[in-house]
This record gives sequence, C-alpha cells and structure tokens, in this order.
Amino acid sequence: MIIELDEFTRVEGIGKAEIVVEDGTVKEARVKILEGPRFFEILTLGRSYWDVPDLEARICAICYVAHSVASVRAIENALRIDVPPTVEKLRELVLWGEIIESHALHLYLLALPDIFGYPDAISMIPKHGELIKEGLTIKAFGNTIRELLGGREIHGINIKPGGFGRYPREEELEGIAKHAESLVKFARRIVGIFASQEPRGAKAEIPMVTSEYLWGDDLIVGEDRIQYIELDEVPVNYSFAKHTYYKGKPIFVGALARLLLKEKYIQGEAGRLLDTYKDKIESRYVIYNNLAQAIELVYALERVAELSNKIASEGIEKGIVEPEEKSGEGIGYVEAPRGVLVHHYRIEDGKVVWSNTITPTAFNQGMMELSLLEDAKKMYGSVPEESLKKKLEEIVRAFDPCISCSVHFVRL
Amino acid sequence: MKLAVFELTDCGGCALNLLFLYDRLFDILEFYDIVEFHMASSRKSKERVDVALVTGTVSTQRDLEVLREARNRSEYLIALGTCATHGSVQGSVENAKEAFRRIYGDIKGPTKVLEPRPITEYVPVDFAIPGCPYNKEEVFQVLMNLARGVEPVAKDYPVCLECKLNEYECVLLKKGIPCLGPVTAGGCNAQCPALGLGCIGCRGPSMDANIPGLVEVLKKILPEEEIAKKLRTFTRW
Repeated sequence: MIIELDEFTRVEGIGKAEIVVEDGTVKEARVKILEGPRFFEILTLGRSYWDVPDLEARICAICYVAHSVASVRAIENALRIDVPPTVEKLRELVLWGEIIESHALHLYLLALPDIFGYPDAISMIPKHGELIKEGLTIKAFGNTIRELLGGREIHGINIKPGGFGRYPREEELEGIAKHAESLVKFARRIVGIFASQEPRGAKAEIPMVTSEYLWGDDLIVGEDRIQYIELDEVPVNYSFAKHTYYKGKPIFVGALARLLLKEKYIQGEAGRLLDTYKDKIESRYVIYNNLAQAIELVYALERVAELSNKIASEGIEKGIVEPEEKSGEGIGYVEAPRGVLVHHYRIEDGKVVWSNTITPTAFNQGMMELSLLEDAKKMYGSVPEESLKKKLEEIVRAFDPCISCSVHFVRL
Repeated sequence: MKLAVFELTDCGGCALNLLFLYDRLFDILEFYDIVEFHMASSRKSKERVDVALVTGTVSTQRDLEVLREARNRSEYLIALGTCATHGSVQGSVENAKEAFRRIYGDIKGPTKVLEPRPITEYVPVDFAIPGCPYNKEEVFQVLMNLARGVEPVAKDYPVCLECKLNEYECVLLKKGIPCLGPVTAGGCNAQCPALGLGCIGCRGPSMDANIPGLVEVLKKILPEEEIAKKLRTFTRW
C-alpha cells in the first residue's frame, strides 16, 4: 500500500511524497520532486562569464543573492580576480540580508501556521496580526538590503564578478545598521515560539557547512574537509532531484548544521539564546532547524548592524576588478539560507564551457526521506491517516525546501 | 471576488513577489478572497475563481494539467512573469529531451517532461504581465483595476523611455555597455541602467522593436554570436 501525500503547500516549488507500507509496516518514504527540469548547466554554456551570474540568479528567487555570489566566487577563482576587502564585506552583508528575508518568510509565513494550527498566515491575522506584521517588517528589511546591494528585491544584477555595479553610500549603510538594531527585539520573540516544538524528524548525524560562516573553499562533513565532487550523486526514477550521499550516508545542510559547527561565531543576544536552547539544538532533530533559523535570524540582524557600521566607517573602495586570466576552473561555495550551495565552472577564453550547480535542497533529499520514514514509522497505525499526512508535511517544511532550486542537480 | 495563484515550473519569484507587496497585500485582501496559493497557504479549492494568476512555463505534463484546470476554472486569466509570457530562461533550451538525457541519464522521472513553453502557447490568456520578476506595482494596479471592473492596459513602450524619463546617462551610447533597453518592453522603471549596467531584456520584446537597428549598434561592442545569445536569454523571438 502506498500513502500519497498531496503536493506540498507553503514551500517554494512543486513536490510531493509517498510512504510505502507493506504488511502493516512502513518500509520506505519517497520525496517526489515534480518541478520541471530547468537546465541551467546547459543554459550557461557558451555564455560570457560576465553574464553568467545574472542568469544563475534565476535558479531561485528566494535566494538569488546566494546564487549570484556563489557564481561570482566560482568565476573569480577561475579567472584569478582578487577583490578588495570592502567587496567581500558588502557581499557578506547582502547575504545576511537574504538570510533575514528568507528566514522571516519561512518562519512567520510558512512554518508558523503549523504551530498555531492555521492553513496560512493570512488566516492568523485576526488573532495574531501583530506577530505576522513583525515578520513582514523583518522580511521587508531583508529585502531593503537585497535591493540596495543586489539591485532589486528579486533577480537584481548588481553583484558582478570583480565588484558591484553601484556601491552604497555611507548614510545608506548607517541607515541599515540602525534599522537592524531596532528589529532584534521582534526576532527574539519568534525564537521562543519555535523552541516550543517537540523533537521530530531524523537526527542530523552528519552536518555539513562551508569552511567559514557564509562561504569557504571546501565542505565540512563530520571530521572531514572535502571537495563536493567526493560526494556521490544518484539519479532516481521518481524525482527530478538527484540524491547525494557521503560514504553511503545522507547529509544535512542548513541553519541547524551551521549552528552546530559554527557556534563560536554566534555571540551577543543570539549567543545567549543559543545557550538557552543548547539542548534542543544539540539533540540534532531536524525539526529544530526552524529553531536554529530563528536564532540565526537574531544573529543576522546583529551582524548586519555591526558589519554596516564597519563598512561605513572604513570607507568603500569602488570599481570592478578585471580578470588576470581568460581561462580557468573554479568552485564557489556559499551558504544559502537553507544550506550550502555549490557553483562550479570551467571557463575558456572568457566563456563558460562546463558548468555545474548543486543546491541545498538537492543535498537534503536523502535526509528528508529519512525524516519522513522515521516519523511515519512512529505514527503509522496510531494516528488517523489525514493527520499523519499533515504531520509529515510539517517535517518536510522544517527543511525550508526550495524545490525549484533542486531540479538541476547535475554533473555534465 | 475570488483569486487563485497557480504555479508551474519557475524559480518561485513570481509567486514570492506577491508576498513582497507587504501592506498592500492587505489592500488586495479587501477586494479578493485568495482561495488557492500553494506557496502561501495550505487551503485547496476546486471552486471557480474570478481571477487566476499563472506563473511559470509549461515544462511537464503536470504543468499542462494545472494550466488547463486554471483556464477552465477562471473568468480572467493573467500570465504573470516572463516564464508565463515568453518562456524566460528555461524556455530558451532548444531540445529538452536531449538536455534531459544529458543531465539525468536514462531515468524516467516522476512526470512526462515537455519542451518548456510559455503558457500563452497552450491557452488563451486575458492579460499578460512580463518581467523576471514583474514589477509588483504593476500587478497591484492590474488587480485593483479588475476589482473595480476596469480593463487593465498593457505597457507598449521600451525600457529606453523610462531611462530617459529618469534622466539616466545612456549606458549603451555613452559608456559602450551592451544594453537591450531599446528593444525591451518597459514597465520596470529601467532598474538595471539605474545601476550603471545594461538592460538584460528580462521583460521580453517591446512592440515595434527595431532588432536589426540594435544589432548594428551592438556589433561595435560584441561579436555577433554573443548578441544572439543575449537577445535569446528570456525569449525565443
């Protein structure tokens, strides 16, 4: 017998799941990514390196900045473009802006209705309007940063190999810093709400993130530091997203993995919150990815304030650094809101001749199935089928899956 | 009035952009009951709607079925965003079957893969709002007009016009930066030239676009095959 879950709602993109039951026992869980393939690796071929980040941004609207930055970092590695520290800091700032926008969207509008028992955030407005408005305010602030540095809220083209098209003015950065500080008190409230969840899903035994907070030159998998090509990618008949394994085991990326591995970065108010809820985070249950996102939201606001002031006081070195080489190969690892993202290119004479992208939701496919399997085993037979389906959809949502991203997980 | 949002294959941006209306989303809710919008709500409905917004390309059999359902259930259907109106980036893939084999090998996949196409090639649409993403002010105005019984008007001028109105320095003629503004439909308020960068053509062709004229200008900056690739990024022309 197969229990079919309907197409997931309150997630980005199109996917569903099915639970296989044999002789009264749950045997298997399959996540079926139905979003059509989008062929970005083929679309980038033959394109000038300069145009590629604008194209790659279109992989995902929720995290277009992460795609743009991963793309420019891969290009810069390939063509030996060494950008000044201000450019690096501005990129970090805009990535935090994106994490703020994306986490606020996920926590307040997509996941929160599960905790309060509503079909959506709109229905929550009569009774919990303040909370939803706080979420929208934080989300809008994240977008202000994306618009200022990325060029627009969605698919801006201001993040270029070698620098930015337009650079922000000092007073714009100071404004960002003040605004960020004022929002910390709202974000603190959402942490407490998500800390109330019961442990569910699988345990994230092998977390992985990039080598530093937000980007690096390799992947951390448990005790190992590896290049992504050491992972195994497996196509499956029932999904447009391939699966990834490391030494035969599923892997897990996202906010929970970041907090577990990068705890030392989390200071200030976020650091105190992390201390308070340490037991839950360290239990590694996938559901606490949402709690980790909430703590990271507080950290993002604090970091944005600190970073904007720092950039404004140091002054901005403007311009675009030209490439030293015309050909080369490079990888960019960047933390998107829902986990590490990889862009990899080979460039010849300024044009991309080979390209690969792996997105966080694709990385998480195996872990998502394992979580559904473990929860279905616990609940099957003891709860009505409709509520089983509802609970299982909630665990998929805890991953904050971005399904559009996941459908071009390839090595050409 | 009843409103539904249907999502086909795309980056999720066109559905997301509706949520970026923030406070004005509440203004829309004064006039519309959103009965279906999978990114934002778990409500599911099979009822008829007054206005359907459809985003994305038809890239799979599943997309085609959803599109037909949307058309059958709605009085007024709006193709929202460049995927739906012109095919956008995935729509420029030449041979989807071959591309699928290169990427996935011999697997079947969960649903039949079709050549990615804009929805306008499958069903009649009542209105189209291009943009990758579209300008959210535009969708707000269109929904408000429809709520008041006013037929919305399509924009029929190129990006250049908005660039001039904003008094931006011409990136193409003054700085020699490739720019598709002269042949691209306006409505974005020339956001890319505002950054000192060239228009990448994300809203698709404007009416009466003089392509040969632009190609002549671009030839001084770019090799011809690059011009062709740039023009075909968001639409097949």
